[in-house]
Amino acid sequence: MIVSRRSLLRSGSAAAGVFALGAPAILGQAKQRVVVIGGGPGGATAARYLAKDSEGKLDVVLVEPKKQFTTCFHSNLYVGDFKKFEEITHGYEKIAAQGVRMNHQMANSIDRDKKEVVLADGSRLSYDRLVVSPGIDLKYDSVPGWGREHEETMPHAWQAGDQTKLLKAKLDAVPDGGVIVMIAPPNPYRCPPGPYERVSMMAHVLKAKGRKNAKIVVIDPKEAFSKQGVFQEGWEKHYPGMIEWMGPKTHDGLKSVDPKTNTVETGFETYKNAALVNVIPAQMAGKIARDAQLVNQSGFCPILPESMKSALDPNIYVLGDACIAGDMPKSGFSANSQAKVAAMMIRGELLGARTFPARYTNTCWSLIETDDVIKVGGAYEAKDGAIKASSTFVSQAKESAELRKQNTQENIGWYAGIVADMFG
Amino acid sequence: MRGGGRLSLFAFALLAGGQSARAGDIALGEYLSSACVTCHQKSGQVTGGVPAIVGWPADQFVAVMNSYKNRERDNEVMRTQAASLSADDIAALAAYFGSLKPAK
Repeated sequence: MIVSRRSLLRSGSAAAGVFALGAPAILGQAKQRVVVIGGGPGGATAARYLAKDSEGKLDVVLVEPKKQFTTCFHSNLYVGDFKKFEEITHGYEKIAAQGVRMNHQMANSIDRDKKEVVLADGSRLSYDRLVVSPGIDLKYDSVPGWGREHEETMPHAWQAGDQTKLLKAKLDAVPDGGVIVMIAPPNPYRCPPGPYERVSMMAHVLKAKGRKNAKIVVIDPKEAFSKQGVFQEGWEKHYPGMIEWMGPKTHDGLKSVDPKTNTVETGFETYKNAALVNVIPAQMAGKIARDAQLVNQSGFCPILPESMKSALDPNIYVLGDACIAGDMPKSGFSANSQAKVAAMMIRGELLGARTFPARYTNTCWSLIETDDVIKVGGAYEAKDGAIKASSTFVSQAKESAELRKQNTQENIGWYAGIVADMFG
Repeated sequence: MRGGGRLSLFAFALLAGGQSARAGDIALGEYLSSACVTCHQKSGQVTGGVPAIVGWPADQFVAVMNSYKNRERDNEVMRTQAASLSADDIAALAAYFGSLKPAK
């Protein structure tokens, strides 16, 4: 028999394998596994940091059905023609190359007693710690007359992807003189300034296309909204007369929508044959978290503020929009920040790694018009049983154009930064 | 502070020996840095208006952060971040980011 160098190497490695299997010390130290459900800002960041910082000592599995993730943040910039769809869509290849095992299927349920995740194909993934970051589900029964079967006619576009493209196509088709009605969501919801940045982007597109007689009506169930003063100042400056925002006292309540005739009826007005109705309904934690009874009566998941651990299960951490994060808004930035605390605490629990008191941070930039970006943000810590803001800021009225332009550049830089931090 | 000023300050700090600042806890710095790298890329790559903060002399890093903390340098995001950091935190961040190599 001619022994080639290659087969020698192969047999050598096989022998090493036998040796390893026979060594009880190594057998007894099977890697502990962390399963992460959801590949958005919370889950992707948690998986990447767990793999990176444990230097191969943990088996990190990220369960996410999509091969490509479109970020909700900056999807309004796509709606406003400031970004291409490809620019807000990212793959998981780099995360996988950095040691995260990707499992591209839906996680159907969590068996908390057995510490297993049941996947769509029926297989089970056991975990030592589980990170649940499923984002939000929409409450399809929260807007009278509207439901899941109407989301093609009256899109929500509050989960980025095809819905975002649909909203954009409908916006581009709004004729001069057409009326857009946005049904804004009640608190708490994903991305507090998001509806109002979207309104700004809609107005930008209408203005740029010369449809000066088109109008945008916002029917809001809230009496006030994030960065309201500076948004409304910006609307008056850039889009005078185009945007009409109304709170519950001034529209007297949303009565119903009719997707057949694109009609919206409030206590005071009826908008018939609207050119576009954007229904952003009430929200709750993703189904898998609700089914696993990780939520409380609010529909969201209580967590321990010093760690992001579920208040209801010591083996589970809940991140992002699905959790109750006290003073932190539901934002991609918040989820990314929470993920890093959770990843550290999990390494502390499983590997004895050094841990530090939790610190959280968030900033939300919103584009009103070209080179006019406003922002709101804060630093947060665990205090008195909740995540509390230790310092905050918000953009002010009458700021200089130069400052708003700097904000614009910051917004661009932040997007590149968070995407690199999430996806590698 | 404009680019030119920052560069000359940078050069001065290099000459003065950036390592003379109290040595920060690099492990704490690495954890705290996770808040920074949501915007400031760890690779040192610059996109838009978010500058690179890797490879700075510790003295300069501390001076800039203190300037935000004291509400001298403008930028509400940075002032808010700096407000929540102690002197030890800032020294730790300076040690950690100072240990990273800037992008080519």
